[in-house]
Order: sequence, then C-alpha cells, then structure tokens
Amino acid sequence: MATTMTAPDNVPGTTAVTVELPAGVEIALELRALSLWYGARQALDAVGFGVPARKITALIGPSASGKSSLLRCLNRLNDELPECRVEGEVLLGGTSIYAKDAIVHEVRRRIGMVFQKPNPFPLSVYENVAYGPRLLGVKGRRELDASVEGALKAVRLWDEVSARLDDSALALSLGQQQRLVIARALAVGPEILLMDEPASALDPAATLRFEELLHELAQRYTVLLVTHNMQQAARVSDYVAFLHQGRLVEFGDTDALLTNPRERLTEDYITGRYA
Amino acid sequence: MKRTASGDAALWACAGAAATCLVAIVALLVWLGAAGLSALWPAPIVEIGFADGHAVLGEMAERRGDTLVIRGSERERAGGSYVRVDAHAIVSRSEPRDAFAITLHDGRRLFGRGDVAAAAALLRSIPNAEPAGVAEWPNAHGFFHRTAMFLRDAGRFLAGSTMAPSLTGGAFPALVGTVTLVFLMSLIVMPFGIATAVYLHERRGFAAGLVRSAIANLAGVPSIVYGVLGLGLFVHGIGADVDRWFFADRLPVPTFGSGGLLWAALTLALLTLPVVVVSVEEGLGRIPPGLLAGSLALGATRGETMWRLLLPAARPALLTGLILAIARAAGAVAPLMLVGVVRLAPALPVDGAFPFLHPSRQFMHLGFSVYDAALASPDALRGIPRAYACALLLVIVVVALNLAAIVLRNRLRERYRVLEG
Repeated sequence: MATTMTAPDNVPGTTAVTVELPAGVEIALELRALSLWYGARQALDAVGFGVPARKITALIGPSASGKSSLLRCLNRLNDELPECRVEGEVLLGGTSIYAKDAIVHEVRRRIGMVFQKPNPFPLSVYENVAYGPRLLGVKGRRELDASVEGALKAVRLWDEVSARLDDSALALSLGQQQRLVIARALAVGPEILLMDEPASALDPAATLRFEELLHELAQRYTVLLVTHNMQQAARVSDYVAFLHQGRLVEFGDTDALLTNPRERLTEDYITGRYA
Repeated sequence: MKRTASGDAALWACAGAAATCLVAIVALLVWLGAAGLSALWPAPIVEIGFADGHAVLGEMAERRGDTLVIRGSERERAGGSYVRVDAHAIVSRSEPRDAFAITLHDGRRLFGRGDVAAAAALLRSIPNAEPAGVAEWPNAHGFFHRTAMFLRDAGRFLAGSTMAPSLTGGAFPALVGTVTLVFLMSLIVMPFGIATAVYLHERRGFAAGLVRSAIANLAGVPSIVYGVLGLGLFVHGIGADVDRWFFADRLPVPTFGSGGLLWAALTLALLTLPVVVVSVEEGLGRIPPGLLAGSLALGATRGETMWRLLLPAARPALLTGLILAIARAAGAVAPLMLVGVVRLAPALPVDGAFPFLHPSRQFMHLGFSVYDAALASPDALRGIPRAYACALLLVIVVVALNLAAIVLRNRLRERYRVLEG
C-alpha cells in the first residue's frame, strides 16, 4: 500500500502531542516526534512520549496502528529494511539512538527485544543464552556459566532446564522457549526490554506464568510491551499508550486511562466499539 | 471415460515410470558389478585339440558365435599370442588338471603342463622373464580356492601400482589420484561457493540478480569447455607465469606450466561452483527470518549473525552442495584430459615426502583409466574387462564419498529437524 496515511480530520485528539508525565517519574526512554516511513507509506506520525523507568508500559491499538513498527524503531531494527526512513529522536540516557555517532549494536544491546513468536536459535539451551555474552567477547567458561545461570534464574527457567543445558533449545515447550529468549536478551545486560505480543503464542497457563515473570522483571528493567489483549494490559501494565493509525492518541496511567479515557477514540477501542 | 479410471491410469503410468528408473539403476549396477568382478575371476586353462593332432593351451579370451579366441602363452609380448579358432574344427576340449599359468611382471601370461619343475623349465626358456609370483594350477582347485585367488587378485587390483596401465596391474594410483583430486576440489570450491552464496543472499538487487543468473547458467556449460578454460587460463596462463617467477632455474622443464593436480582441482572447482552456490543460497533462504532478527536484536552485526548462526544452521544445505559437487566432479573426465591426467604417472600426487601433497604433479584418474583401457589399450581383449573393473571402482568411490556426506547431513538434519519442520 503506497498511499500516504492521512488521519481523519474530524477525529479529535489525533494531533501529535508529547505527553507530560507527573513530576517525579523517571524516564528511561524518551520518544520525540518520531515519524517512520516505509518507502512512501507513513507508518508513524510524530509519536512522542516517555517510557517510565522500571515500569511496564503497554502499547495498545488496533491492527496496523504502528505498534510493532514503533517497537522496531526503538532498537533500530528498522534499519535493516530497505527504503525505511525515520525522523525525530529517541533519547536513551540523554543521547539520541539515531545520532550519527550512535553505535547500532550497542543500542541493540542496551535495548533488548522479544518477538511475538519465540525464536530460539537452533543451538543448545546453554548456547542460546551464551550467544550474547560471546558476542561481547566473554570467553571464560566460568564467566559464561555464571551469566547463563543468572539469566535463566531471572526468568525462572533454571530449575526446569539446568539438567539439560546441552539439549536443543527447539525441544523446549513454547512457554519455556519464550522465557529462554528473554533470558537470552537479559544475558547481554540490557536496560530496556521491548516485547512484541510476547504471550500471543502461549496457552493460558503459560501466559499466567509469563505475566508473573513480567512483574518480577519490571523491578529491574524497563518494559515496553505490545499487546492486543486489553485484559492483559490491565493486569500487567503500569502505563498505557494508545496508538491509532500511526499517531499517539493517549498516554497515561493504566488505571486512569482504561477506566476514564479522555479521548472518545480510546474509549471506543477499549470498550470494543471500535470498528 | 470414467474419472476414476483415468486417474488410475495416470497413477499406473507414473508408477511404471518410477519402476523403470529403479530397474534401470539396479540393472546398471548389477551389470557393471558382474562385468567388473568377472574380469578378476580366475579363468580355467583349456586345451583344445584339432583334427590334425596339434593342440592349443591357453585361456578362453572371447567367444563370438562359432569363433573362439584363445590366449596362448605370451612368449614375446603381451597381447601377441591370440589364436582364433573355428568351433567346428575342434575335436577335443579339456581342462587338464596339471595345466599351470605363470604371470610375468609386465603382465604377460605363460601356460604349460606339468609340475613345478616343468614350470621352472618353461620360465627359463623365456628370455628376460620376471615372474610376478609362483606358478598356479587353477584347474586343480575347487571353488573356494578360486575365490581366494579372486580375492587376492582383487586386492592386487585395488592396492597394486601399475606398470602397464591399460593392460594389467593395480588401479591404486588412479584411485589415489581420483580421491585426492575430489578432496582438493572440495577444499577449493566450498569456501568460494559459500562466500558467493552469502554475498548473493545478503544483496538483493539488479546486479546480484545478474550474478545469480550467470552462475545458474554456468551449470549448463559442457565440461570440456571448462577443460579448455583451465588449459588456457591456469596451465598456459598462470602456470607459465608461476614457473617464470619461482621455478626459473628449472626451465624449460615446466613445473606448474604443464597440467597438474592443482590446475585440475581448480578446473573442477569452477565446474562445480554453480551447484554449490545454488544449494547454499537456497539453504540460507530457508532459514526462518526470526533467527536473523533475534540475533540482530542481541547486538550482533549481520556478519556475526551469518558466521555464528545462519551458516551453522545451513550446514545440511552446505553438505547437499558438497554432495552434488562431488557427484559432478567425479564424473567429469573430459576437462581433466586437458589439465593434468595422464595414462601412467611416475609418482603419486600424495606421498610421504615433504610437502606430502604435490600440486604440480600429473596424476592418474579412474575415469580416464576407463577411457584408456576401453579404447587405447594395446590388448583390446584385456582392456575391455579392465575398463569395467575401473568403472565399477569409480562408482564405488563416488557412492562411498556421497554416502559419507549423506550420513553426516542426516545427523545434522536430526539436530535441526524442528527448525525445518
């Protein structure tokens, strides 16, 4: 689809705004007027908000509203696509990740990503988690062992797989695989975790465990989570950002936004009237 | 016509075609095996008597219609004592138990009757006769002893060096030459093919498309064209320059300026490059894109991802490329005749003397041995069976190399089964 996206003018609240957070909330990642084009098609239009540190922020919105595109902008995975253009700034600790002197792989190390479908590498459980540390130049067996064990314990997987670290990661269950790829991301010491509908492939029991894990992770990491599931957003997130047709409609505290949305569009979406 | 009936007919036609293929392959192998092995089976010594009272002692070499060809004692030269006999003129035919055969070092065979003393006397009567072993009495032995003789001869064929290549003697130099050539070719073509495939996989554009179709078309170029290219480019071009720069003291005797193992391996590497590139690129294309994204998201560069993750995951495809390359290289004889294969090489391309592998040496090859024995032998009645034996050995070598690669690939597939499914 090569048409430039135009937001309907009669919809209120779709103008680009940088949302102010209450004073005292520490910001881990700040988006400023972030716009994204795939060729001639605009996927994001001047999105701006701050992701609070060590909290879970849920990114909600209808299909094709730009949630996944936004996530891929935040660790520069969109760089890999041809004809992709980004404008605006994403500030990580005061410096823009799109600055000319920014090192892409260092940005990606600091901002980890978990994908919708668990994508363990066709290696052993151990080698999956050790992959990142090895990239960083860790060679000592003891050091690798320590970081593998630490990462697997952080995702509550250690007890289940400690006896079969050398087995193929592909033999694990889906829920275990998803926790394994999170451990893999944690092993390189990120500050922020981006998650793109990470529970959509999991059954209800695995989803429940996963959400418990999210809460634990949020004590140490900043989590930005894309979800289609409104109940999940309500259960796990501290803040919610609602995206519609590439624009940020509303951002705020989860309880306030879901129970008392300021915008009509948000209310329609969360009550299921959105068509 | 009923629909089910036509469906059945098509199914039967397809099944028939598949069965025909299977039968053809099995028939080829059985026939080649029988022809190749029977060349080594000890033939009985026959004595044929004629109406005028004289008799001929020798081995039956051929029987065509009413005409028999008997190979008698080769007192002067190999292949020089065939006797053509009309079957109607024969009055007696026997396989005397005291008939013996002596094989000489140059491949000649002597026949006689009597005991050990008689054999020694026969040997003394031939000037410059060097026996390759003791005299044998094959007619006196039963099946098991003949089997033992057959196994001994088969061992000599496999492990013996060759004095008169198209006549008798072992195929060991040709076997070593073939295997060394295939290994060297694999060592050259795999890195090049993989690197090319990686480049084409990473670059999706007009130029890469041109390169891709050019490589695919290279697969259709007849192999003799590669031979001419190798002769012109490697032997006469690069080889002559190498001689001028590094081996000037030996000129005008060429070192790399004539055909040799290295140039033959390079020529075969060019010949097999397309199949390696195509299968490796297909293998890389089958890897789920999630793996690339997952690795990049961990901070790996594209190069690190390719080296640590994608190429290891594509190992089955790499081995498929290798299998196809070996199959194509082992069957290509025509280009080798231009770039280094000889009928009779003075030394093996690999030996115990430093530097162990001698890339400038000319070498022997089983495929060429087949051609040489079948068409260029001074003794056609010995050459044809020898050609079968060499062809059988060549097939066994190719099948063995392929089986090794297939076993390896299946073990890797087992590891990545979930990935592919």
